[in-house]
Amino acid sequence: MGSGFFSSSIGRKIVVALAGLLLCLFLVVHLAGNLLIFAGAPTFNHYAAALEHNPLLPAAEIGLLALFLLHILFSLKLRWENHRSRPVGYAESASKGGRTPGSRTMLVSALLLLAFLAVHIKTFRFGHPGDSLYRMVMTWFSNPYYSAFYVLSMAALALHLSHGVQSGFQTLGLNHPRYTPIIRALGVAFAVALCTAFAAIPLWALLAGGAR
Amino acid sequence: MSEKAKRSYTLKVWRQRGPKDKGRFAQYQVSGISPDASFLEMLDVLNEELIKRGEPVIAFDSDCREGICGMCSCVINGQPHGPDNGSATCELHMRRFEDGSTITVEPFRARAFPPVKDLVVDRSAFDRIIASGGYVSINAGNAPDGNALAIGHDTSEKAMDAAACIGCGACVAACPNAAAMLFVSAKVSHLALLPQGQPERDARALAMSRTMDEAGFGNCSNEYECEAACPKEIKVSHIALLNREFLRASLK
Amino acid sequence: MTLDGKIPAGAMADKWDKHRFELKLVNPANKRKYDILVVGTGLAGSSAAASLAELGYNVKVFCIQDSPRRAHSIAAQGGINAAKNYPNDGDSVRRLFYDTVKGGDFRSREANVYRLAQVSNHIIDQCVAQGVPFAREYGGTLSNRSFGGAQVSRTFYARGQTGQQLLLGAYSSLMRQQAQGKIRIFPRRELLELVLVDGAARGIVCRNLVTGALESYAGHAVLLCTGGYGQTFYLSTNAMASNCSAAWRAHKHGAFFANPCYTQIHPTCIPVSGEHQSKLTLMSESLRNDGRVWVPKKKGDPRAPSQIPEEERDYYLERKYPSFGNLVPRDVASRNAKQMTDAGRGVGETGLAVYLDFADAIARLGAAAVREKYGNLFDMYHHITDEDPYKVPMRIYPAVHYTMGGLWVDYNLMTTIPGLFCLGEANFSDHGANRLGASALMQGLADGYFIIPYTLGGYLASGKLAAVNEGHQEFRAMETAAEQRLKRLLSANGKRTPVEFHRALGRILWDKCGMARNAAGLKEALREIPRLREEFWSDLKLSGDADGMNGALERAGRVADFLELGELLVRDALNREESCGGHFREEHQTPEGEAKRNDADFSYVAAWEHAGEGKPQTLHKEPLAFEETHLTQRSYA
Repeated sequence: MGSGFFSSSIGRKIVVALAGLLLCLFLVVHLAGNLLIFAGAPTFNHYAAALEHNPLLPAAEIGLLALFLLHILFSLKLRWENHRSRPVGYAESASKGGRTPGSRTMLVSALLLLAFLAVHIKTFRFGHPGDSLYRMVMTWFSNPYYSAFYVLSMAALALHLSHGVQSGFQTLGLNHPRYTPIIRALGVAFAVALCTAFAAIPLWALLAGGAR
Repeated sequence: MSEKAKRSYTLKVWRQRGPKDKGRFAQYQVSGISPDASFLEMLDVLNEELIKRGEPVIAFDSDCREGICGMCSCVINGQPHGPDNGSATCELHMRRFEDGSTITVEPFRARAFPPVKDLVVDRSAFDRIIASGGYVSINAGNAPDGNALAIGHDTSEKAMDAAACIGCGACVAACPNAAAMLFVSAKVSHLALLPQGQPERDARALAMSRTMDEAGFGNCSNEYECEAACPKEIKVSHIALLNREFLRASLK
Repeated sequence: MTLDGKIPAGAMADKWDKHRFELKLVNPANKRKYDILVVGTGLAGSSAAASLAELGYNVKVFCIQDSPRRAHSIAAQGGINAAKNYPNDGDSVRRLFYDTVKGGDFRSREANVYRLAQVSNHIIDQCVAQGVPFAREYGGTLSNRSFGGAQVSRTFYARGQTGQQLLLGAYSSLMRQQAQGKIRIFPRRELLELVLVDGAARGIVCRNLVTGALESYAGHAVLLCTGGYGQTFYLSTNAMASNCSAAWRAHKHGAFFANPCYTQIHPTCIPVSGEHQSKLTLMSESLRNDGRVWVPKKKGDPRAPSQIPEEERDYYLERKYPSFGNLVPRDVASRNAKQMTDAGRGVGETGLAVYLDFADAIARLGAAAVREKYGNLFDMYHHITDEDPYKVPMRIYPAVHYTMGGLWVDYNLMTTIPGLFCLGEANFSDHGANRLGASALMQGLADGYFIIPYTLGGYLASGKLAAVNEGHQEFRAMETAAEQRLKRLLSANGKRTPVEFHRALGRILWDKCGMARNAAGLKEALREIPRLREEFWSDLKLSGDADGMNGALERAGRVADFLELGELLVRDALNREESCGGHFREEHQTPEGEAKRNDADFSYVAAWEHAGEGKPQTLHKEPLAFEETHLTQRSYA
């Protein structure tokens, strides 16, 4: 791979797409763990302990951090160039049908997600759960403001992924007349399902009061 | 058939004396416009009036007036080539605009398409992109028999889908990022699909995308406004193919 | 001055081969010492510039649009002919040659046409190698179709965009040479003057259409590849910027203008919808394969077509030409449409149209089958006229489409000015009095890829050209002339716009020198055009100045030249006391109303020499000899 790859727009986009799609995989794994909360405190706490004592965790966390950084920094670089690519804007601008709510709001959803990420990591990565992560989660989600922020962030994530997933496939060149419509539909379905499932936990904690 | 009722419009047209001028909108009234007149013919009528009033005519690009040369441009009410799908400004008719309505006309806007005058912009960046690799290196006199290469019907048709690009720049104008990926990918795709394009395939993908970047176009964010605005309805699947070609060439 | 076509001696089939051998060669190392100026970037210009650069010449290319890719060759729809005989249906170089000479109504030079047929096959090979996506069979071989009534399938095509694909192929070769530094491209330039030094073409003065500056460029030879003069008629299928100015400037400097009256009028165009109309759109004549042409029997019938019963319709082509019916040649179909509208039986708001009805075809084949064959044409018609041709008959009318006349050139494509070559539609050479479908693209590319690379070398190698650069006084003189002309246009300060004069000229030509011409009408036109020209120079109204982009000023300059060429067109039509091809003189027709040639008196090329401002041009005749073909009269009854 030549040195021009990372300085070219397509090369950078490929990095963003790859990192983004890998982050989606991470989200699936993350969600699978989260959903164990419905199985009750012992199971969930057991899972948390196993995860924490896994010797591969630091490596995974570094990898994850790298993915986030690549995705965010390269996106910002591309975004900055895009900002400069049209010095005089249109007085009037109307879509001819390509843009979607998700694609229009990528920057806004990204900024919201960044804020969420900071809060989320502070709460759950650097928080002190004591002997029960389960209780800690329940405590946080019993705060309606915290839960509302979480649910809102999941909505932003859904919006982000509704464009991002299919966009990642397109950037990696995975486009086919038969499968692309399916990929686009599945991308939206994936985004909605994933984020609904994430959001179900605070809603459950808040509304049903969890299983105290 | 009765004489069709003539229409009147208020036009807000971008006037800019030259590349260094800041430019502004000027407002004009036009009347007596037949619904069968094309949009550019309506501008012709306005220019005739401007001449009679001793005012400089509005500069706009136009040549074939049948949607194939790619010369005409303009963003009309916020849409490149106006509201119709799959057609160029020269193919737009005034029957698409209600009598008495206000129409805003702007040039294509992109850093890589610097303004020239009024509605005219400089699209020579597209020529530079083609010059950097949008060809097969074959000198006249060298060619083997046309049937020496068997090319499947479907392959040929797919290549033709991409080759249909008229190089108007509406994809850039419509793109939220002023990216030129649809234009570049149409040419890369056309030649990558055909056996004639194989020997220079990798070099072409790399060189053309590099020239595209250097020209100051934005980056594609896969929002597909380009496809929606393209007068020849070139598909964004070609952009995916360009991405593939670029990756393939880079990995070598 | 006697016109020497420089046609090589020897057997027809050997002439080109022999000539290529006899032409002197430029030493490969010396080619880079020559600067060649190519004006125009259509099929002829782009292919010539690319091929010459490939050989090593330094080429400067000028085009009026913002990019060489936009030249009007791009709009050609149908296809390109070649004598490949892939379908095994009896085609050959000789047959393509014969068909083209006959199709041109025996008014072209046999040797040129034979050479055209000979190189036609190489063109296809060259274009395929460039990546032109011609239509293919499922087995992977090239598709051919029969076009314009040809008896063999020899037309290669890329959907309905053959011209576009061929031009983009030539353009890609051009851009490749630019990247290699052999070509410099000057877009948005319009030629205003040709510069002659010691009697030879050595440069041009053009206007930079962006800055308004006059720019001089010197070279060892000038190639005009600037297209036809169809826009003289105001309304035509040509592009807005198509003009005759480059050819006309050359004419005024001594290049003879040949056969200006040979204009082709295409029968199936979308009719004029009103005064605002700026150009006409052509629809493929393949529509006549299934559409039936008719008009109401009654004059000025106001009823909608569906209200007119079968017995009150006149399917006039089927009635008059029972064996060919709706498929008569272009000129016959066009002329009959005019006769109908002249008789007050035209249809539509303007009365200047006839119906092309698909009701029978839809009933017979089904709407789906009709859509498959003509879907894109029907959509285009619907889009432009807002009428659905599946439900109501199309309205069609003829429109000026192509001009066979142009600058006179010899076998080497050189005009009567040494060093000034003329290629493509701009020259008069290969189509005689009528061009066959799918032959224009063939000629443009033949000239550029396979003829000029040899003949230009022959010219450069056969004499020593003095060193000339842009500092030469002749460039100053021509810049001054161009500048004064612009000043004169801007200073008239009258009341009428360039478009109004152009429209008025178009109306005279269309009415009196269009599909059918007669001496009385032509003489009238010869009185009206000079009058209009006088009014032009005294009553012209322009706005803006010459210091930048000014569409009105550009148009005015072109109209000024159309006003002069238009007169010559009429003069040539009046001189040619016969009917042939696209030139139909009402006085000269057979009892069936067909064109009647006069081979005894008019078997010649009429080449007109500029005789000074305000003076009628001098006629020179290049006799045409027919050794290989047998002169026959067309008949379609």
